[in-house]
Amino acid sequence: MANPMRIRAAAKEGVTEVRVLMSHVMETGQRKDSSGALIPAHFITELTAKHNDKVVLSAQFGASVSTNPYLAFKFNGGAKGDKVTVSWVDNKGDSRSDEVQVS
Amino acid sequence: MSRFSKTLSVLAVAAATVGLVTPATAFDRYPGVGRAATPAEVKVWDIDVRPDFAGLPKGKGTVDQGIEVWEANCASCHGAFGESNEVFTPLVGGTTRDDIKTGHVKSLISGSFPQRTTLMKVATVSTLFDYIQRAMPWTAPKSLKPDDVYAVVAYLLNLAEVVPADFELSDQNIAEVQQRMPNRNGMTTDHGMWPGASAAKGGIGNGGKPDTKNVACMKDCKKDVQIVSSLPAYAQDAHGNLAEQNRFVGQTRGKQTGEPGATEAAAPSAAAATLALANSKGCMACHGLSNKIVGPAYADIAAKYKDQDDAAAKLMAKVKAGGQGVWGAVPMPSQGHVKDEEIKQLVQWILEGAKAQ
Repeated sequence: MANPMRIRAAAKEGVTEVRVLMSHVMETGQRKDSSGALIPAHFITELTAKHNDKVVLSAQFGASVSTNPYLAFKFNGGAKGDKVTVSWVDNKGDSRSDEVQVS
Repeated sequence: MSRFSKTLSVLAVAAATVGLVTPATAFDRYPGVGRAATPAEVKVWDIDVRPDFAGLPKGKGTVDQGIEVWEANCASCHGAFGESNEVFTPLVGGTTRDDIKTGHVKSLISGSFPQRTTLMKVATVSTLFDYIQRAMPWTAPKSLKPDDVYAVVAYLLNLAEVVPADFELSDQNIAEVQQRMPNRNGMTTDHGMWPGASAAKGGIGNGGKPDTKNVACMKDCKKDVQIVSSLPAYAQDAHGNLAEQNRFVGQTRGKQTGEPGATEAAAPSAAAATLALANSKGCMACHGLSNKIVGPAYADIAAKYKDQDDAAAKLMAKVKAGGQGVWGAVPMPSQGHVKDEEIKQLVQWILEGAKAQ
C-alpha cells in the first residue's frame, strides 16, 4: 500500500477546486540502476475522482507522468462538507483511495 | 552535552560579548556623533530566533490554521503542498520516517531524491521560524503575526510528516519538535565559517583554518613546470582557434589550435610576429585591426591606400614623423624610437590587410 495522497478541495462560488499530491515512484521502465539492469516499470495507469458518488474526473496516466504527481482540477457544484474521493490503480495492480471533505 | 548545545552556548557568549562591547567602542571612536540605541529601538530590530529558542515570541498555531495562511500567502510560489519546483526548489520531500528517528537525512547521501529540499537540509526548527518570520512572504516580509508563523511552521512540519495533522505548535512544545527534525544531527561545524577553537579543544569551529588550503613552497620546490595532461589532437579545435578568441593585449594568449592533423606552427607566422611587434611598439593602443580606437583601423588604412603605389613610402614617413588631419583632428605622434626596418615591416603588414596570423 502506497503512502496516502494529500488532497485539498475548496468550494468557491459554485466551483470546487481540487488539488492532489500523489505519492508514487512512477518508474518509466526505461531507467537503469547502478548495475545496469533495467528498473521495472511501475506507474499509475488510471485515476478517478468522485464528488460524493458521482465521477467528476477519470484519467489515464502513463509513464510520462512525473514522480509524486501533482494534479489540480475544478468541477461545477460541490458544497462545504461534501466528500471528494480520489483513487488510482497502477500497473502492478496496487491501488490507493483517499477522501477529503470540501472546505 | 551534545555537540550542538555546545555550539549554542559558545554562540550565546559571543553574541553577548558583541552586544555589550561594540556600541561603546564605536562611540568612543567618534565622540559627539550619534547616541546609544534605546532598548525600545533595539527591540524592533532584535527579531532573531536562536536554536536555543532565545528570542522566540509567545504564540501558537495549528496545522489547520497554517493551511489558511499558506493558501493566502505562500502557495502561489511554493505550491499547495510545498512541492512546487517552479519558483523555488521544493520545501518538502525527500525525508522519511526513518530520518525523523535517526536525525540524519539519508537521501542527502544516497541521492535518491532529485533535489535538496528545505526540510531535508534544515537542522533546527528555529531556523524555519526565524526565516519565515523575517523574510516571508517575499512581497511583504515581517507581515505575519507570531501565531501565523507558528501555524505555517506547523503546516510545513505536517507536510514533512514530522507532526500529525491535528498538531498545535507553540512556544511550549517547539523544543520537542526540534527532537523530531529529520536532519537535526546532520549539521557539522568543523569548517572555517564557524568561529572558535576546534572541536577537540572544546570549541565548535576548526580553529580558524580555511576550508581550502594552498601551501606556499619554501624549499626543494620544483623548478620546471611539468605539463602532465593536454588536449588530444582531435579535441584541439573543438571551439575553433583559441588564439583568435583572446585579447591581443595583456598576459594571456589563447593557444593556437587548428584543423585536426594540421601541423602546429612551432614559430609564429610572419603576420603574427608583426602583430606582436605592433603590440610591443604601442601601435595597438590607438589602432585596432578592424576597429577604430583613437586612430583609424588598419583595415581602413589598407583600404584607403590600396590603389596608391607609393603608399608604403608615404606611410613610413607619416609613422616616423607623425601626422594629423587625414583621419581627423587627433594627431598621430612621431614614432622616432621605432627602427626604420620595423616601420617598414609594420607598414607592409598593414597594407597587406593586417592579418593576425
